[in-house]
Amino acid sequence: MDTKEIILDVKNLNTTFISDRKEIRIVKNVSFQLKRGTALAVVGESGCGKSVTMNSIMRFLGKNARVEADSIQYNALRDGKVTEYHLEKIKDPNGPEMRALRGPDMSMVFQDPMSSLNPVYKVGDQVAEGLIQHTGMKKKEARVKVLEMFRKLGIPDPEERIDNYPHQFSGGMKQRVVIAIAMICNPELIICDEPTTALDVTIQAQIMELLKDLQVKEGKSIVLITHNMGLVAEMADEVCVMYMGRVVEFGSLEDVFDRTSHPYTKALLRSVPVLGLADGQKLETIPGSTPNPANLKPGCEFADRCPECTAACREKDIPTFEISPGHRVRCLKYKNFPEVD
Amino acid sequence: MLKFILKKLLLMIPMLLVISLIVFFGLQATGIDPINFMLSPEQLSASPEVVEQLREELGLNDPLIVQYFNWLGNMLHGDFGYSITDGTSIASTLAVRMPYTLELAGYSLVLSAIIGIGIGIISAIRQNGIIDYIGRVLAVLGQAVPQFLVGIILIQIFSIKLGIFPAANRVSPDATNAFVDAFMHLFLPVTTLTIGMVAVLMRYARNTMLDVLNSDYIKTARSKGIPEWKVYLKHGFRNAMKPVLVILMFRIPTLIGGSVVVESVFSYPGIGMTMTNAIVANDYNVVMVTTLIIAATMLVCSFMVDVLNAIMDPRVRLGE
Amino acid sequence: MSNPNAASIKEQNKSAASSLLKKNIRKFLNNKLAVFGLVVVVVMTLACIIGAVMGVDYATPDLTNMKAAPEAGHIFGTDTIGRDLLARVLIGGCYSILIGVFCAVLSSVIGAALGAIAGYFGGWVDSVIVRISEIFQAFPQLVLVMMLVAILNQRGLGNLLFIFVVTGWMTTFRMVRNEFMSLKNETYVKVCEAFGMKRSNIMFKQILPNVMSPIIVSTTTNVAFFILQEASLSFIGLGVADSTPTWGNILNAAKSVSVVTNQWWIWVFPGLAISLFVLAINFFGDGLRDVLDPKQQ
Repeated sequence: MDTKEIILDVKNLNTTFISDRKEIRIVKNVSFQLKRGTALAVVGESGCGKSVTMNSIMRFLGKNARVEADSIQYNALRDGKVTEYHLEKIKDPNGPEMRALRGPDMSMVFQDPMSSLNPVYKVGDQVAEGLIQHTGMKKKEARVKVLEMFRKLGIPDPEERIDNYPHQFSGGMKQRVVIAIAMICNPELIICDEPTTALDVTIQAQIMELLKDLQVKEGKSIVLITHNMGLVAEMADEVCVMYMGRVVEFGSLEDVFDRTSHPYTKALLRSVPVLGLADGQKLETIPGSTPNPANLKPGCEFADRCPECTAACREKDIPTFEISPGHRVRCLKYKNFPEVD
Repeated sequence: MLKFILKKLLLMIPMLLVISLIVFFGLQATGIDPINFMLSPEQLSASPEVVEQLREELGLNDPLIVQYFNWLGNMLHGDFGYSITDGTSIASTLAVRMPYTLELAGYSLVLSAIIGIGIGIISAIRQNGIIDYIGRVLAVLGQAVPQFLVGIILIQIFSIKLGIFPAANRVSPDATNAFVDAFMHLFLPVTTLTIGMVAVLMRYARNTMLDVLNSDYIKTARSKGIPEWKVYLKHGFRNAMKPVLVILMFRIPTLIGGSVVVESVFSYPGIGMTMTNAIVANDYNVVMVTTLIIAATMLVCSFMVDVLNAIMDPRVRLGE
Repeated sequence: MSNPNAASIKEQNKSAASSLLKKNIRKFLNNKLAVFGLVVVVVMTLACIIGAVMGVDYATPDLTNMKAAPEAGHIFGTDTIGRDLLARVLIGGCYSILIGVFCAVLSSVIGAALGAIAGYFGGWVDSVIVRISEIFQAFPQLVLVMMLVAILNQRGLGNLLFIFVVTGWMTTFRMVRNEFMSLKNETYVKVCEAFGMKRSNIMFKQILPNVMSPIIVSTTTNVAFFILQEASLSFIGLGVADSTPTWGNILNAAKSVSVVTNQWWIWVFPGLAISLFVLAINFFGDGLRDVLDPKQQ
């Protein structure tokens, strides 16, 4: 596909953790594409590997993790020209190649703003650090830029707040600072790892609006990791549903929400409260619990909890079928559709 | 910040009072007539009437609580009384020996902080690397072998077999260069004391740094694309320093305790040795005064660490 | 329908608990150093006890055979007044280990009880106990011990045990207090309070079990600490009287330079015994910590 249109192209990403001399595969053959200037939501239960997938791409995992992929291609668009980066070929996760990309090209907003800021430095200096690193700006010029960014992100009294320490900020304001750190070098791709889980609901809405603004007005590409289906409906252009380290369904928002195809996605959506729930209709739970990733049976990981499970589901690995252009489902129900890898 | 320092200073006063109370009543509990260590031997050898008169003048017939405040007043004036055994003024003995002990403990503190924290941090950054491995083995050995045994072995090797360093004392009578003389005499005791401290500090610094390196703000720092050394030093080390400093403070008592033992091994004339000899000779006043001095030193040390801590941590500095 | 189900859940819990135990044991056994530590501790302790039970003669001086080098009759040689060193090291081990274990356990009990009270009640109770512990900490422990030795003016074993316990409870106290301060805000504690459970019950039956792992670990390492402390005190001549041998006061002989230079066996064997035992306890304690308390390495 066109590298101008696709900003991030991941093919068969596998992440394995080594613990107690045992290898546990957490992310399995994950493939997805992110279109430039759109928002992709990655959803799934806790522990489904959505966070690990994104951290694998940014190479933030510790030494006990092994990241392998056929391709993790990042296409930077600068002055109308596309530069391709093959992240899977970069050896040192914190080496100069990866570092050059972090900040000016791709950045990340973390889950817990309380612990993502260094307690001993002023917030302004923490935001400026990346800018000074990548542009070689003087401290004074950087300060002007930081103030500008604070204003843009709606931090009140920026002149005063810039010299405060993180503990003097509220949770929502801290998250704005974290977003400022992510945004200061004007990256194209922003990965948000459950950016609002630690905040209360009104603040959540403000932060999400901010992110949506960045995407729509400035054309940023956003990956939003969340388990909040409400946020997905508001934010996402495309949705990627993950279960036990695999992508089980991928498609546009309409595909996934209105033409829901995978039994797991259906169950997931039925377990979320929505306005206009019919009288007497109860929220459903998904029966059973997620299997232990250390000892998995062959076949579909969801088989034991799936109401539509057949004998064939437990036999071998399940391929992915494309049921309409761009809508891919990993379920044998759709075996009459063309297989994709 | 000033308020913080003042508050800490004010808190020290009741602590010192309580400690002095313990020491004073400890002294009383031994049941020895205090006149014996309040007067110099010449005065004591005078006629009983004179001594009795002095007793009245010194207020030894007053109620205990009055005596306590008198005693405290004397202490504050630097009048520590006299040793029972040899009749020397304790203040003049301490004036010579206190600096020796401070030298010994101070050098070990600085040296072990540099070595221990340095190796600890490197071990954490290069976890399971060669330095980490060697450090761990040394830490275990340093904690297992009794300090005095380390001292004895060092004397055996460096003084007796190789004859490089003197095995005892602090000054040689025939020394020509004061600095070289001090270095020669301090080298072995300081090394002995440092080995034990380094073992503990190294371990602690390593674990703290590992904790810090796992925290979210390290990830944030990496997400800015700054070089790894900056991640480690600016974001990691700076945050790991605080708990390590606190543990350093908690270790100062052990260091002083250790110096008592080391002084005994190397016949090093510091206050540890003064105290040991005084206990063996039942020279209670000397014991109590040295105890008081050591406790006061400890309080000052812990005060300094509090201030240092506040300088390093904005949350403490800005009064939360 | 519900009964067999309940039973099976109970079964499951049981098997989960036993598999956790199995996993922990396996984890411990995987740690070679920890196993080595445990084996050394057990073997040395047994050897000392067997020596004591057999009634080896550690006290009779043999003036015709002083400072004898190791030989068939005296494997470790004899000391400065001709007593058999092997016997002294064995009996000394009994006393040293007794001192270590007794003081570690008792000071942990006191520290845990005070820590639980201070941490759970907070307020003035907490500040009083914390102040007391701070005063104790203002003295280097060894100096405090020396002061007490001076006041009591006796060098018996009982006094030593008393002094060590009185001066040794602060570390456990600090740790337990901190744990209690954070645990008392947990929901399950609030639930117990809402049920009107007795405070002592909440403290010792509900919260304390959650703090047991670090207490056990610190007690283990404290055994080593007290053994070393006793050795230091004996070395400077303020420990137990010479008639009761401990590893520390056997080593007291090493104060003489001529012994250190000429009769290596007099200090090498007890020195080895104490170092090896402390080393083994530390390894064992570290292994225990990895298993019981993985979060604080």
